This record gives sequence, C-alpha cells and structure tokens, in this order.
Amino acid sequence: MTTPTTSPSTVATLSAQQVTLRAGERTLLERFTHTFYSGEVWCIAGPNGAGKTTLISALAGLQQPAAGQVELDGVRVADWSPVPLARRRALMPQSAHDAFSASVLDIVMLNRFPHLAGWGWEGEADRAAAHAALDLLGLASVATRDVLSLSGGERQRVALAAVLCQDAPLLLLDEPLSHLDLHHQIDCLEALSAWVAGPKRTVVFSCHDLNLARRFATHALLLDGTGAAFAGPARDVLTPALASRAFGYPLILLQDGGYEALIPAPRPRNAQRGSADPAS
Amino acid sequence: MHARRAAAIWCVLAALALAVLMASLALGSVPLTPARVFAALLPQPSHSGAPADLAGEIVRSLRLPRAFAGFACGALLAVAGALLQVLLRNPLAEPYVLGVSGGAASFALFAMMAGCAWWLVDASAFTGAFVSILLVLGLARRELWRGEPQDTSPRLLLTGAVIAAGWGALITLLLTLAPDDRLRGMLFWLTGDLNGGGLPWLALAALVLVLVAILPAAPQLNVLLRGDAAAQALGVSVMRLRLRVYLVASLAAAAAVTTGGTIGFVGLVVPHTLRLAFGNDQRMLLPAAALGGGMAVMGADLVARTVIAPAQLPVGVITSLIGVPVFLWMLLRRPR
Repeated sequence: MTTPTTSPSTVATLSAQQVTLRAGERTLLERFTHTFYSGEVWCIAGPNGAGKTTLISALAGLQQPAAGQVELDGVRVADWSPVPLARRRALMPQSAHDAFSASVLDIVMLNRFPHLAGWGWEGEADRAAAHAALDLLGLASVATRDVLSLSGGERQRVALAAVLCQDAPLLLLDEPLSHLDLHHQIDCLEALSAWVAGPKRTVVFSCHDLNLARRFATHALLLDGTGAAFAGPARDVLTPALASRAFGYPLILLQDGGYEALIPAPRPRNAQRGSADPAS
Repeated sequence: MHARRAAAIWCVLAALALAVLMASLALGSVPLTPARVFAALLPQPSHSGAPADLAGEIVRSLRLPRAFAGFACGALLAVAGALLQVLLRNPLAEPYVLGVSGGAASFALFAMMAGCAWWLVDASAFTGAFVSILLVLGLARRELWRGEPQDTSPRLLLTGAVIAAGWGALITLLLTLAPDDRLRGMLFWLTGDLNGGGLPWLALAALVLVLVAILPAAPQLNVLLRGDAAAQALGVSVMRLRLRVYLVASLAAAAAVTTGGTIGFVGLVVPHTLRLAFGNDQRMLLPAAALGGGMAVMGADLVARTVIAPAQLPVGVITSLIGVPVFLWMLLRRPR
C-alpha cells in the first residue's frame, strides 16, 4: 500500500501532485504540484469561491481531487488508515456545530479520539493535553464553561485548541481567524508560529487578511479560482501585482518605515463595479 | 467525563430501576409484601402449599413479564431517541418524528381491523416500522450518505416528519373506518399498552442486541456530534457509523413499538433529562438512557394499572402526562 515517491524523504512532507480541483463545471485548480515541508507556516489566500476550503479538504484526504493525488510522508492520503492519519494531521473545519451543551474541556478533549485505547475513555495524558492546548490559547478560564454560552470568537479559539490537542504534526486550518477580533487573531497566529517550531510540524491555514498572512506566514499559496496558483515565500507571493490579479481588484503596497500594508486601491471614478471581492 | 463518574451514574440508575421493579411486583390489585415477592421469585419447591401459589402465579406470570416488557420498551425507546438525536444532531429527534411509530401503528391497526391474531398484529407492527424506515432512508438517502462536510440533518428530519404526518392521516382514516367493537382495542394500542400478549423476552433480546451493537461506537458518536467533517478528520468512518446508528435506532424503535404500542415522550424526555443532569457524553448517556427509559416506562405502567384499579389506563397517557411537565421544568430551570 506504500508507494515511495521521489521527493526528498528525509523530511516529513505533504505534497500535492498534479492536483486538479473542480466545483461543478468550474476548474478551481489545474494540475497543481507542490510540496509543503516541516517548519513552514502556509497561508492559502484567494477570493471567495476560489477553492481554499476544497483544497484544504483535499489535502486532509477528506475529498478526492478531480485528478492527481495528495501524498503525506510519501503515501497517498487515500491509502492511509483513518486513525493513524488522524494522528498525523489535524483538520479544523470552517464551522463546528454545537447542538447540545457540553463543557469546553470535554469538547476540546474530543480531538483526543485517535489516541484513545480500550473502551475509549480519556486518561490523564489526554486531559493534560487538552489543558495545555487551552492554556496555549489563553482559554484556561473558560475550560468549565458550556460551549453554547460562548461567543463566536471564543468558539473559534476552542476549535483551534481542539485541533492543537489532537497532537498531529500537520495542522490544516480552514479560516481559523474568522470571527476573531484583532488581538486574538494575532495571539492565535503567534501561538501557531511558536507551535510550528516543534519537530516535523507544519501549519496550513486559509485566511482573508493578506497583511496578517505577510506578517505571520512563512509561505503563501494564492489561488485565483480559475486554475492558477502561486506558491512561495509569503512576501514573494502576496505582492500587489499577484494579489491584484488573483482578487480581480487593484491592490497597492504602502510602506512606512519597517511596516508594510497591502490595501485596496481607491476605485477609479468611472470604473464599473466589479464582481470580485476586495481583500478585506 | 471520567469512567468512574459514569459508573456511579449507572449504579444509581440501576438501583432505582431495581426498586421500581420490586414495586411493580409487589403492588397491584393484590398487594404483596416484599418477602412474598422474593419467595415467589425463588425456585419453587415442587407442590408447596396452595395459598403461596396464587401470589407466586401473580408475580411470575402476570407482573414479572409485564414489568420486563415495560423495562425493555422504555429502554429501547430511550436508546432510540438518544441515537436519533445524535444522528440528526437535533435535540428534537425521536422515533415518532421519523415516522417509525406511525408506520408500526398503521400496519398494526390494519391487522387489528382485519381481526388478526395478536402475533400477526405484532408482526405487522414490526413490518410497518421497518417499511417506514426504508421509506425515509430511501427518500433521504442522498442526505444521509453524502460524504460532504455539511450538516445533513434538516432534510432527513423533514422527510421523516412528512412521512410521519402521512402515517398520522392513515391512522385517522383506519380509526374512522374501524368497526365499533374493535375501536377500543385499537385506541389502546395507539396510546401504548403493555397489557396485550406482549413478548417481554423478544424485547429484552432486542435490547441486548441493540446495546451490544452500539455501545462500542459511543466514542465515535461523541465525535460525530461535532460535525461530519470534524469526525471524518478524526478517523471516524462517518457514513458507516451513520448507517449503523440508523439501523440500530430503527430496530430499537420497531421492537419497542411492537411490544408496547406507541408509548410517547420516552425517547424525547429520558435522554434529555439525563443529558441536562449528567452531560452529553454518549459513553455514559446510552447505557444511562437504557436504564432510565426502562425505569420510566416500568414506573409509568405501575401507575397506569394501580391508580384507578381495577381499571387500567394506557401507559402512553401516563408517560406523556408525567413527561411533559418534567421536561418543561428541566428545560426552563437551566440558566442559559
């Protein structure tokens, strides 16, 4: 069942090979080949509907690409057994539903599932991992609260704590920063940057804030939603030229001392209202 | 949740259930002392005194089978309710909502109208429950099996609700057309009746089967509550698990409805009450629901046959009369 690849096998890697993603008739991504190495923090950016969620889902092995394949440590993700795969990579979906009340600690501890043995009751190690993840994101004080009483932003951070306590070296996060206010966005990204320094760790997250991506991601993957993708170091990819092209709206880079910001250019007065979103 | 806490909860519920069982055996039109109940349950020395035999007969062939049938019915209904609530990620799910009870009732009433024997009525009820399940499963199969990371609940729930409404109309039609001499029995069946020639051993066997089939999957069910995508990413085969839950819940509901008719509110109230009191950990909740549901229906049946004795009330009336206020109180007492 293992098919070793020609890619360098000394580092643990996630690689997409000739991956094509489609949504109905539309081609989102065409023959995309790329390798994500450990120690890297990747931001996937692009306009709405460009395929960020679809790509993350395909990288996680939840969705079969229309063509091509995704490999993790040289083995196709489709060939991994579910539980070892869950110990290797964690996925934070865009939104989690909570229909029933439960304590935050219990919700976070659900992600210890791939590590449970016997009758499936958590041990002290699982409890400790959950507390450590909550501490890392500054959530220790809400551990006993009911998830249904949390705000959208708190719920988002709880979901992030949950994937962290899954203890998988590869984190795939779909919009982890949505619903978060600015300082929590920065806290979370700082926590992820510190986390990725551990052995074999990689973070891939999708994000709408190009400036946060430029600041915290080591690399960026820009999707334009029509098949093309630009991958590379964040500052080489999230440039005014490439971002303008991907988002279909002119962006300019402001520089002030050591600080930089990508902002949408003022709209020309006689320009037609475009359909593409400006980067927010 | 710690395994120790769950075990403590189970022990308390089991002790309470045992107490209700003892009360069910002792109370009735012929009250018996606990000592006589015990004596009746012990293996009888052959041809003992005649007076002891009457009490023994009442306990062994009337009260014990009826209490066991009530326990099995309640346990099956509560487990089915808890499972469907997890499957549909909707606190309002229940065997009735998905039309299982309605299908069983329609088929059973039809058999009763035709004047069939009791076992044929039971077989019809079981068939009806499964026909209803297959109907909902067939109509909503795309929603149930689609492996996409999205909530599949609303359409499945609506499909079940519409099928249930259809069965409701059919039941009304059958009751309208039924000859007067059969109407009373049909109405009793409809509200839940443990008095008929129920088969407690079959229901108990179904209960054991249901628990053996679903308890090992309890940790997966906890994860499923977080959504399909999250569960899949954690290594749960979501579609297989959904099929397993659906089939087990359906078997449980069909077996319960066949044994006791449509006993309302147990599948909704018991899991909720336990959830509000002890939390929503399925590893704890499913066995607790079995014990709690069994205790509830056994107790309700005890009330149903003693409160206006020698006449008997349908047990479904009691479960609903007790269930509604208890549920409202539990719901409103909780600060949000």
